[in-house]
Amino acid sequence: MNELERRIKAKLPGEDTGITVRRSLCDICAPGTHCGLSVYVKDGRVIKVEGVDGYPNNDGHLCVRGASNRQYLYRKGRLKYPMRRTGPRGSGEYERISWEEAYAEISKKLLKIREQYGASSVIWYTGYTKWLRPWLRRIAYSFGSPNYGTESSACAKATMIAWKDICGKVCRGDAKNAGVYMGWGSNAAFNKFTQAKMLRGIRERGGKIVIIDTRVTPTSERFADVFLQIHPGTDGALALCIGNLLIQKGYIDKDYIDKYVHGFDAYERLVREYTPERVSRITGAAPELIERAADVMGQNLPAISYTPSAAIPHHINGYNAMRAIISLMVITGGIDVKGGSLLGDSDGIVAEAIGFPSHEQEFCYGTRPEHLDKRIGEERFPLWAAKTNEMQAGDMLRAILEEDPRPYKALVALGMNQRMFLESDKYPEAYEKLDLIVATDIVKTDICDYADYVLPVCTSLERVNLKGYGNLLTATKAVVEPLYESVNDAEFLCELARRMDLDDNLLKAGYEADLRYFISDLPVTLEELQEAELPLPVKLDTSKPLGYYLEHGFPTPSGKLELYSETIAATGRADLDPLPSYYDAFNTADEEAYPLTLIAGARIANGLHSRMHEVPWARSLRPEPTVDMHQKDADARGIREGDTVEIYTGVGMIRVKAHITAAGLPGDVYMYHGYKEANVNNLIDRNHLDPYSGFAGYRQSRCNVRKAGE
Amino acid sequence: MKYIFDLNTENCVGCGACSVACMDQNDTDTERGEKPFRVVSTLEQGYRGETRWSYISVACMHCEDAPCIKACPCGCLFKDEETNFTIYDNTNCIGCHSCAMACPFGAPRFNEEGKMVKCDGCNDRVKAGLKPACVKACPFDALKMYSEDEYKQAHPARGIHDIVQQLLRQE
Repeated sequence: MNELERRIKAKLPGEDTGITVRRSLCDICAPGTHCGLSVYVKDGRVIKVEGVDGYPNNDGHLCVRGASNRQYLYRKGRLKYPMRRTGPRGSGEYERISWEEAYAEISKKLLKIREQYGASSVIWYTGYTKWLRPWLRRIAYSFGSPNYGTESSACAKATMIAWKDICGKVCRGDAKNAGVYMGWGSNAAFNKFTQAKMLRGIRERGGKIVIIDTRVTPTSERFADVFLQIHPGTDGALALCIGNLLIQKGYIDKDYIDKYVHGFDAYERLVREYTPERVSRITGAAPELIERAADVMGQNLPAISYTPSAAIPHHINGYNAMRAIISLMVITGGIDVKGGSLLGDSDGIVAEAIGFPSHEQEFCYGTRPEHLDKRIGEERFPLWAAKTNEMQAGDMLRAILEEDPRPYKALVALGMNQRMFLESDKYPEAYEKLDLIVATDIVKTDICDYADYVLPVCTSLERVNLKGYGNLLTATKAVVEPLYESVNDAEFLCELARRMDLDDNLLKAGYEADLRYFISDLPVTLEELQEAELPLPVKLDTSKPLGYYLEHGFPTPSGKLELYSETIAATGRADLDPLPSYYDAFNTADEEAYPLTLIAGARIANGLHSRMHEVPWARSLRPEPTVDMHQKDADARGIREGDTVEIYTGVGMIRVKAHITAAGLPGDVYMYHGYKEANVNNLIDRNHLDPYSGFAGYRQSRCNVRKAGE
Repeated sequence: MKYIFDLNTENCVGCGACSVACMDQNDTDTERGEKPFRVVSTLEQGYRGETRWSYISVACMHCEDAPCIKACPCGCLFKDEETNFTIYDNTNCIGCHSCAMACPFGAPRFNEEGKMVKCDGCNDRVKAGLKPACVKACPFDALKMYSEDEYKQAHPARGIHDIVQQLLRQE
């Protein structure tokens, strides 16, 4: 091997090697992160990726999923060209068509359905990834449908609406100044490296860390001053008990409560019932440890809490648990104060938490009709309805099957994977009721066997991106041409708007024109953002000064922080409590037949829902769908490490490998989701939903496990 | 300048980012059964009635007095004078696996032709002023590469390099 061959093999950039490094961003996970990527390209192909030094969030590093970007891009299952269904639904029989045919036929059919059945009969849904949401929302409204929905129906939205319910806006913790970090289900040291840094920062300046989790984790082991290991679904009871102790021990801020809090007396009466002894029986945590957690919190105020997007809300009592957790910051005077929880202003996706005015929100809502029909899930989940502007997709299966509140005729599904929903395998029954299904994705997923049109879209490396990080903004160019005949999802929607001739000039103007519109008031251009080596600071900070809401009132019905939710009271629903009361979160299955607790979707580092399972490098780290279970439960069933086992419920069964670990408590079994051959969501009843938020109770349902073949 | 790889076991969580970065750098074809040069594992052990977890990331340790170099009958393995990494030219490899038998860390692997391949510390990248792929990726600041001087100054706490050197001396 000569010198040049060696340099090429080592992938060194240079004129001699023909390797260039281009900047892009990773959008495999959620827009709150979107790390910077240095993409090594040779002869028009990506040959390697790494993190961009100095970039917000990742500063040169990549997580295991981000490091897999090259295979995510070039993996085998990529959809290559538009296809039209030729056989019966589910047969997988398709023929290749041109984009021209696809646009002509889809737009004609959508317009016909609107004419015959009304715009609301068309559902516009998106799963992963999330960057395209502004365009999907926009086209749904321009078309006239209220049924815009996203996978946020099971992601961070329940957490966010709990914050909105109490404070009027979503808060984030002021980690730089907080005295104590309460991590509920937080395993940041394992799966969120950007936050692991924050934990180290809190530690180094003498702050305290309390971790509440059902499992022992690197975070609980390395960072926790107090670690409470509790049974799944009991966080709410624990939070009420800590509230009780904070009151009794005099850690609360009475002046603050008098001035800014609504419903304290009723809250106090509620929490009084949650004594350490009683809550110890519910949660499994020792009474002394609960007292210690309350002391550590009370003596190190202000406190902030961190709850990952899904860990708490994935229980059918999760919404109230979230409110009980937030209430602790309320009664200790920790909202809208330095070192506490700060109210945020932006719900943006492209320009999430951007800190300066963009036109993204105007774009999202600019064509929203004044009168819209009821959304899917609107009546069933009134809190969801009151605090979000989208349908509750967890109710989609029922709504289509029961034609409630109306018949549905078409589904435009961008990156939808029904495996995220409970009883996923029942979706084909609902698909049969639809006249038109259009599915776009990077790779083939289950819905692609049922869709009438299957269309290929591209990854973040193959398109222009615009992205905000705090007060920094960036744009990237495509680092390689879109593969095969794929297009970017937003361009697809823009072209669809043109073909249907919707009354929407911004959508018709196209993707890049829309990006320019977003930033049209800012002193930078798309080109300048693309040319800069790193995201550029854009200083027009619009966030309100600290204490603004204390002075001017919170944007809630009472103008105060609502321990007693007037929004919930106004629903008039007897089954919903304005106070954050606790209730058992199991399903109704027989405890003797199903003595184990199934926690579906507990995270693994190399997975991101279903999206990394077919990426060989990521998959190689845990090649088989595997259940984590405790030695005691394994021994009782004659199960050994690596055995093939069956997890079963009254609803279904999956076959997986067993991994025995003492990380969880006896009785709890943990199974990651999204596997085609072992879809854990098929084991959970479709009605196992939180009555407030509509979120699925993935993390707590009854099951049993047996050795395969017995 | 001589370089040293070190893993801070207090920070490693066994996430696998280093391993995938290694696969990306070296075009590891896992679907054809190839294994990465760097592997991660989680060890869970009972200790006095408690459970303890340790997380490690292991590849070629680039030993000072490397047993694989001595074991190879064909002179395929040698030290890079500049970086001190244990590198190789497998043109003359006869696939005898002597290096693999001698290596305490399981670093040598064998390709489809039966010839030895292994982690070369991203030797050419390091010589070009870049970090090894695994070190560059590590999101938890666990895996590092130090120059000898930096290493002496940093005295990395709970580092794996020192432990390994002690073990090697005992052998």
